[in-house]
Amino acid sequence: MNALAETAVDEAPSSPPPRLDANLSSLVKTIDPLTPEASINEVSELFLAPETQQLLSIPIVQRGRVVGIVSRYQLMKIYMKMYGREVYGRRPVSSMMNATPLLVEFGQSIEEASHLITERMQFPIMDDFVIIEQGRYVGLGVVIDVLKAMEERIERKNRELAQAYSRLKSSQLQLIQSEKMASLGQMVAGVAHELNTPLGYVKNNVEMVNGTFSQTVELLAAHHQLYRGFVGELEDETQLEQAVGVIEQYADDVNPEVMADMGELLNDTLYGLDQIRELVVSLKNFARLDQAKTDNINLNDCIDSALVIARNNLKKRAEVVKQYGDLPKISCSPSQINQIFLNLLNNAVQAMEQEGEIVITTWTDDEFVNASVTDPGKGIPPESLPRIFDPFFTTKPMGEGTGLGLAICFQIVQQHKGRIRVKSRPGEGTTFTIRLPRQDRPPPAGSISGSQGGTP
Amino acid sequence: MTTKPTVLFIDDEERIVRSLRMLFRGRCEIFATVDPHHALDIVRRERVHVVVSDQRMPIMRGVELLRQVKEISPNTMRILLTGYSELEAVVASVNEGEIFRFISKPWDPVELQETVQRASAISATLFDAAEELKLKREEGVRRDGTGFLIIDEDPATAVAVRQIVDADLQLDVPVHWSTNLEEGFELLANHDIGVVVSDIRLANEDITGALKALKQNNPEIVTVVTTPHRDTGVLIELINEGQVYRFLPKPAGRTLLGRNLASAFAYHQTLRAAPKLLQSHTVEPIRKESDQRLVSRIRGFFSRMRRGGSDLAQAYEGA
Repeated sequence: MNALAETAVDEAPSSPPPRLDANLSSLVKTIDPLTPEASINEVSELFLAPETQQLLSIPIVQRGRVVGIVSRYQLMKIYMKMYGREVYGRRPVSSMMNATPLLVEFGQSIEEASHLITERMQFPIMDDFVIIEQGRYVGLGVVIDVLKAMEERIERKNRELAQAYSRLKSSQLQLIQSEKMASLGQMVAGVAHELNTPLGYVKNNVEMVNGTFSQTVELLAAHHQLYRGFVGELEDETQLEQAVGVIEQYADDVNPEVMADMGELLNDTLYGLDQIRELVVSLKNFARLDQAKTDNINLNDCIDSALVIARNNLKKRAEVVKQYGDLPKISCSPSQINQIFLNLLNNAVQAMEQEGEIVITTWTDDEFVNASVTDPGKGIPPESLPRIFDPFFTTKPMGEGTGLGLAICFQIVQQHKGRIRVKSRPGEGTTFTIRLPRQDRPPPAGSISGSQGGTP
Repeated sequence: MTTKPTVLFIDDEERIVRSLRMLFRGRCEIFATVDPHHALDIVRRERVHVVVSDQRMPIMRGVELLRQVKEISPNTMRILLTGYSELEAVVASVNEGEIFRFISKPWDPVELQETVQRASAISATLFDAAEELKLKREEGVRRDGTGFLIIDEDPATAVAVRQIVDADLQLDVPVHWSTNLEEGFELLANHDIGVVVSDIRLANEDITGALKALKQNNPEIVTVVTTPHRDTGVLIELINEGQVYRFLPKPAGRTLLGRNLASAFAYHQTLRAAPKLLQSHTVEPIRKESDQRLVSRIRGFFSRMRRGGSDLAQAYEGA
């Protein structure tokens, strides 16, 4: 038997799987090819040999060049004819081989080979393909191996995609968290600044009153000395003179007029302390860290709480007009609802290019408690409107907005089974409306909730 | 006859105004208002030595008010007293308001009294020389040989300044460039430098202390800080302890940088022509320990550094 001793190297590579861009080297089966002169009988013997049992076909090579390929299927066609072997057995394989086998360049990637194969191959698969390098025979490639490699690759890609997706999701969560932290930071900084004004005059006033108080103590001592002089308790005349000296010295600093001023400063101080207390209470209310996560609350209170926090941003730029309706209490997460209103208020004031009124209206209907925030700002261009609730969509300059504010609002409203709507006209202003379901009466049959509102 | 200085307080919170009025009662002639327009009217009408203004006010920002005060009455010293230290406001207080001090609320009453007193004294001498200063401010003397020094690791800054000085401003003056502090101060010691353009970090080291010390020793040298670092705390120190002339975020556009370099150079010439003005850039002592360590490192250079002529040194020391 002159034909082939199979020397297949590297049977189907087990691990690691070939890289996506790897060339065909890992899939080459270096099989000794047939010559065109080999007889069909010889070919048949070869196909029966255990070493080649797994092969669909055997390449035919002449002087290093691939001239054809012969497959089991073709032999089967011969042998299925009556006396097939007797008639054709001695003929050379070149008489019945497939003279246009699928040739694939050695340097091509598995992916490219798979494209070629799916384009050119016929099904059912009867032939494998021949791997050549610059026209010269290299070895046989098995179609199934290529398909297997591709499948593995697809699986791996899927795994990678799934990983990437979960990474993306967790980094999105992180971003949302950091947006929350950033807005919290802004809020805290705003309130801290807000505290500085009352703190400024309170501290100054107390120090001044303290100074006057010390002088008053000395003055009182002098007056007491004087009194003792009057009632004849003083033995030493100079003590009287000293007392008079002190009284004269402080005449400018401590007198009824100054005392009246000090009284006023103390009133201002009390007022300032009240302001500080109010800010601290509102911070506490806003964060509600020490209270239940969900609570029965009136939406109007949430808005008021957000207004105190936003005051530092609103002040000087916007007048707030409150049109509150009588609202039933609803069960919700007040700190989250507060955050929505803070966000809407901050957006409103940022949209305003000149001073104006922000109108906040609340009302109730059969199913919902409603609140709307309307600003006379520059409005949202129609092309942006469908995207404003998308995460990371922002029209603010780089570094000013993360594009998560409204996305978070949307998320919170959804969690509350409510709706958020926007109505905007460029140049005229924008209205955001929040609708949260009432729990004090069952919703009428057939009602829908929890959908995103569009633009009317 | 009163020799008390005249001080004007503006804050939109009347309680602040009332509190300040009481703090300065008896020490100054006091004007106090919650209305910036009214404040400007007072500055037009009266010889006001010091204006102390809040930043956030409904009608006008404090820095805008102080900018207008500077236009109306350049000899009036300007102080910003604010509870808000946003970067934007602090930068504007340097570039637009050219303020003497940036003071944060809540303030220390004694410190505020001292600062206002010092500012009043400076302003009084400026007002006394008002005529002369007016002339000097307008004429601007050309001094040949006075150049620029860039202290910055970024070659782009050096390239930009050179282009601006040569091409845009067409000043035939030397432009020196150094990428480290010692080398920079060596250049300062050996050359006649009018304007220093500097970053605030070199090789990851904060060099603001050096800029502060430079102003302390050579107040006639005008400093323009251009940096990507945005720290309001550092900038406030650069105002109070370094009297930085301009603060430009990096990268600054060529037009912006050019305009500010031109005005810095012109101002340096004014300072040389009218040394009395140097007092208005008196700085606070350097407080931070890290700054002081840096200053001791470069102290040797200062003794070798020229003052812009002995007359200048005398005028400054005599002030």
